[in-house]
Amino acid sequence: MITPVLAVIGLNTYLHVAALLFALGFIGVLLRKNTLVVFMCLELMLIASTIALAAFSKFNGTLDGNVFVFFILTIAAAEVAVGLAIIVALFRQRHTVQLEELNHLKH
Amino acid sequence: MTTQTLQAIADTNEWWAIAPEMLLACSALALLVLEIVLPRAQHRFIPHFAFATQATIFILLVGGVYSEYEGLTTFGGLLQHSATGHVARVFFMLSSLLVCFLATICLPRTKMPRVEFYHILLAVTAALMLLAQSNHFVMFFVALETVTVGFYILVSYGRENALTLEAGLKYLVLGALSSAIMLFGIVLLYGAVGRVATFAGGVHNGFEFGTVANFLHQHPDNFLATAGALLVLGGVAFKIGAFPFQVWIPDVYQGAPTPVTAFLAVSSKAAGFAVLLTLVLNVFSPLQAVLVPVLSLMAAATIIFGNLSALTQRNTKRLMGLSGVSHAGYLLLGVTAALTVPWAAGAVWFYLFTYLLASMAVFGVMAYVGGPDDAGQELQHYEYLARNRPFLGGVLAVGVGSLAGIPPLAGFMGKLLLFVAAFQAHLYWLLAVAVGGVVVSIYYYFGWIKAAYFESWRPPGPKPEAPAPVPAAPSWVGVVTLTALALATVLLGFYQEPLTSWLQLK
Repeated sequence: MITPVLAVIGLNTYLHVAALLFALGFIGVLLRKNTLVVFMCLELMLIASTIALAAFSKFNGTLDGNVFVFFILTIAAAEVAVGLAIIVALFRQRHTVQLEELNHLKH
Repeated sequence: MTTQTLQAIADTNEWWAIAPEMLLACSALALLVLEIVLPRAQHRFIPHFAFATQATIFILLVGGVYSEYEGLTTFGGLLQHSATGHVARVFFMLSSLLVCFLATICLPRTKMPRVEFYHILLAVTAALMLLAQSNHFVMFFVALETVTVGFYILVSYGRENALTLEAGLKYLVLGALSSAIMLFGIVLLYGAVGRVATFAGGVHNGFEFGTVANFLHQHPDNFLATAGALLVLGGVAFKIGAFPFQVWIPDVYQGAPTPVTAFLAVSSKAAGFAVLLTLVLNVFSPLQAVLVPVLSLMAAATIIFGNLSALTQRNTKRLMGLSGVSHAGYLLLGVTAALTVPWAAGAVWFYLFTYLLASMAVFGVMAYVGGPDDAGQELQHYEYLARNRPFLGGVLAVGVGSLAGIPPLAGFMGKLLLFVAAFQAHLYWLLAVAVGGVVVSIYYYFGWIKAAYFESWRPPGPKPEAPAPVPAAPSWVGVVTLTALALATVLLGFYQEPLTSWLQLK
């Protein structure tokens, strides 16, 4: 069932890569100031989950995980479509996409 | 997988069981078609169509037309129709109707297109109803994301208002962050559970709620699964605005258009609690040793943070948001109690219904008081409200009084039930925090009533150059709706029998 290459790499390697990507995205969302970069980091977190999902699906021997990946991709696409629209509309109003300048709502 | 298995799965598709959701989704599409087909002069009838469908579905649901499916699991285990799911459907339908009512007040003031608002509202409500009945993590995630993406659009609906867009962006970034965290949790649970073969030849996996619950029952100290469960709960905590995940609430509530703020405050929060109750009571219940301390700490921190940060607020929408955080804390107390006291789940729903009635009454008044720019609703705009518009002042007093938990009103009974449940569950220190929180909350809620009923002292001298706008007079629909909300709040304080027996509160 599991091909030799996969057996050498192993489930843990995939999980480590996924966890690394997830942490990278998470830290990026917290630290980066440019809205577009933040948005890319969010997508990175979704992709990390997708990698883990595909790996689990392969090693567990259930197909459902692979199917779920398609749902996640569709949802991510919807999120990007709405998100970029909001960013473009905001840029037209404020002429900036830097998070530190978007603080007009009262604290 | 053989054709027989596929046939067996297809046989569990009970389309009639989800007829309300289908009807909502179809009428959402029909709204867009109507906008193209109808001549421009008749566009003002399109919201009436949305009202009519929602009222029909509401009556069908309350009439118990779909109760024959209760207890069934349909669509190959994707959905489970339970009594709680039915309560949630009625709740979301009622809330959606009231948001529609608020939209008819607020939307005409702006130049925004109207039909799309109702379209997204109906689609999101359908997804909320499915979310409350989901029994499978894929269904759960897809329904939740339909709700979330719909809310991104609704929050940033006034696309010519920079404040609204800023709120939309903040909601988008933090909402997507919480979704990603939750998704990672789901993936970890799926990986931990692995492949579970049954004797009958079927294969189960970690997406099914029942399978996850069984697995956790057998391996309550599995690290991967516990981490996954906590990540999923973190994502839900964002929806309800519980303590470490509440940062988005004040800004988003302030910037969003008032009907959307009401929708967020009531439906989105209730959805979070519906999901939380399902997950905590049915799926993650073997993890009690971890869950009880986590949930109690979260509840205590949420109550303290919500009440203290609401103390200094002058903007009414931020006030509603931050006091809503403290209400989420009281509800979390109920969820924690529900792990040991079964009737506490009904108490949570009772509280949500009282919160719905009171909040919608208050948001209705806010919709009339607010001008075209409703992000800047300050407490001083309420000055002379009781004198200029005594009706609105009365409704505001009833609504705010119920939120504060003043004795004869419904909010008091809601809080009492939750606190009795917490007492029976031996959560004494948490109960002390909650009672302290209620006392603090009276200060800021009464500040609002004071602003509406009593003149504040001003130094003698020239009058401020911009006097607050006199709020619009409510139409007859507004009078009827707000009267009904206020009356229901008062009556529910005296006589709870119909609601409690329906929620199976023993």
